[in-house]
Amino acid sequence: MFTNEIKELVKNRGVVVLLILAPIVYPMLYCGLYWNETLLDVPIAVVDPSNTSLSRQFIRHMDASPDVAVHCRCASLEEARQQFASGAVHGVLSIPADFSALLQRGEQAHVSVYSDMSSFLYYRSMVLASNYVALEMGQNIQVQRLSQQGIVGAQSDMLARPLPYEGVVLYNSDMGFASFLMPAILILILHQTLFFGIGMAAGADREDKRRLSWNTLFTRSSLYVLLYALLTLYVVGFVPKFFHLPHLGNPLTLLAFAIPFLLATVFFALSCSVFNPNRETQLVLFLFFSLILLFLSGISWPESNLPAFWRIFAQLFPATFGIRAYIKINSMGAGIAQIQTELAGLWIQTAVYFITALLTHRWALQRQTRNCPN
Amino acid sequence: MTFFDAFFSVVARELRRMRSNPVYLTASVGVMLFCFIFFVSIFEDGQPQDMPIAVVDQDQSALSRQFLRNLDAGPLAEIAFRPSDYSEARALMQQGKVYAFVVVQPNFSSDVLANRRPEITFYVNDAYLVAGSLLLKEITYMVELTGGAIKQNVLMAKGMESHRTMGLIQPIQVDMHLIGNPWAHYGVYLLNLLLPGVLQLSILLLTVYALGIELKEKTAPDWLRLSPNSFLTALIGKLFPYTILFTCLSVLTSFVLYRYQQFPLQVSFGWMLLTGFLYVLAYQAVGVLIFGITPVLRDSVTLSALYGLLGFTFAGFTFPIEQLPYPARVFSLFFPIRHYFNLYVPFALNGLSVPHITASFVSLFAFLLLPMVVYARLKKAATQLNFPIK
Repeated sequence: MFTNEIKELVKNRGVVVLLILAPIVYPMLYCGLYWNETLLDVPIAVVDPSNTSLSRQFIRHMDASPDVAVHCRCASLEEARQQFASGAVHGVLSIPADFSALLQRGEQAHVSVYSDMSSFLYYRSMVLASNYVALEMGQNIQVQRLSQQGIVGAQSDMLARPLPYEGVVLYNSDMGFASFLMPAILILILHQTLFFGIGMAAGADREDKRRLSWNTLFTRSSLYVLLYALLTLYVVGFVPKFFHLPHLGNPLTLLAFAIPFLLATVFFALSCSVFNPNRETQLVLFLFFSLILLFLSGISWPESNLPAFWRIFAQLFPATFGIRAYIKINSMGAGIAQIQTELAGLWIQTAVYFITALLTHRWALQRQTRNCPN
Repeated sequence: MTFFDAFFSVVARELRRMRSNPVYLTASVGVMLFCFIFFVSIFEDGQPQDMPIAVVDQDQSALSRQFLRNLDAGPLAEIAFRPSDYSEARALMQQGKVYAFVVVQPNFSSDVLANRRPEITFYVNDAYLVAGSLLLKEITYMVELTGGAIKQNVLMAKGMESHRTMGLIQPIQVDMHLIGNPWAHYGVYLLNLLLPGVLQLSILLLTVYALGIELKEKTAPDWLRLSPNSFLTALIGKLFPYTILFTCLSVLTSFVLYRYQQFPLQVSFGWMLLTGFLYVLAYQAVGVLIFGITPVLRDSVTLSALYGLLGFTFAGFTFPIEQLPYPARVFSLFFPIRHYFNLYVPFALNGLSVPHITASFVSLFAFLLLPMVVYARLKKAATQLNFPIK
């Protein structure tokens, strides 16, 4: 019985691609693409009509920061604009001619930074580098000015920087793009390949008029769960370690999440699968939903800022709780206590979709008997 | 039988098919309408406002409360929890209830008065990159602002005039100019490519589906009978209704983005429509190519799905293209959405006139030649139905 079902599954090329090949190849492919996950030394152009030791110091410090690198010096803003237009640089630092004169007179000087907004990662690099250099140089200038006013020692330090602060970036300290996005993508790959794979298999049955019984359905569902238990082990256990993604997760906590996630997803996919008239329709209609699920998970636009309707809508899908739980466990080192909402959600989905899977399949078996009574 | 007779009878047949099966309109119009509503409603605020943060105020002085009030009043952060210590705050972060938290030490206020420079520590969660980065910027700014106010008070108490204090409080100010997207609107950044991205999925899948279903259901002879002399006419006639449909959806996308949402657009509306039209044609051509490679519907649908999803990565808007490994950068040229990005960003977003406009347009045109590669094979498959139909 079991080997029969395996043979049936392997015969179905589309299902093999979706259920076996895609979850093996896609994680590797995406991890390879996002391998250089941290933007370093984003090229910028510099316009410095002031050309004084202070302005040159500012430029040197910008260049020395890890975020940006001076690619070229331009005589005018127009020249810098051409560099930007040709794609050679993603930002421009412009220091006005009166930069040093203002600083020497004890007044406030301005520098202008122009940032490419085609990717937010450029913008972040510009902001980080320029604010850091302006503050650091500014403090030295402040100390000098204060001593000219006769303020020295502890009070000078205090006035230069009354509130020292430390911003600690937790859970993704390199601010890497893959470390942020890949955990969500991995769970989404499992969810979507199961959904479309199970859908395609059910569509194939209906197309080929294969007679189904509770027995075959049960065997096949167990087969999906077993297959995906292995694939989950690979995607969740092997891929993050191999590709240096976050993997803080405690194996037992991961197990406590993976079991209801897999069950909920399989039952959800089974419940929907009986409506597929053929192999392809589900993929044609719902492929775009992969993107919707990614945004519903709250990994990109924060969950707290999703409109209430979408927050509730999101609860229908195992991917939502799955992605949230996995990121908390694996990126943030959460234990069972911190993911109770997600675990409860997944177990409720498991129960509900188990019942709907039974109901829809009873209906499908009745439809089968009605259509061909023999 | 003239070209036009054959062409229009194929078009008329295709329109009947599109009406008789709801898949066609649902997978195009339905999908795009859903995405318009979904994404427009999500990115309405431009930047996520009032994200929940926690504060551990161990000082409870007038000064610490002033600082926290400033933070709360700022646009991006809202104090949602006031846990009593660090570990409680950290647990809130792990539960995903807050995206950042700030710790104000005891004696904060008295340390300030005694010139002891108390340190403010804050923690942001960059597992959520957007929330984390924005809050890092926001909290840093608020600490600087509060520090600036302390400085100003001390200096004015020393008798310095207020306009002279600015040079002491902040000698160098950075003016940020965000090219093309001055308010760092997240929708401007994402939707200008996400929506065309969804459109390309729909074009690829439906092109392949419309062609493949004829072979799978063995209706191809009916189709080809209407244009007995020319397979090319039959093919163009079949694809033509979808060209119109997807061009309309592309126009609607531009309308939603630049008229309804009023996103910045430095070129004329007509320019975007022309680019959108070329984009639709290029993806239809890729769809024909994919189906020609594997004229079995389920395989070509799966292949277009895998190819279409990669388009979001290879467009290069979430993650800059030059960060990808070299082979991937070359591979990205085989995605029309990459060329669309190259046309949209410099012209429509940044308003620049640049030399490589021709290259991008020529590349989009070049996609139209791709079906020639598989034309013979496709013709044979359609006329002889010699491929497995499942």
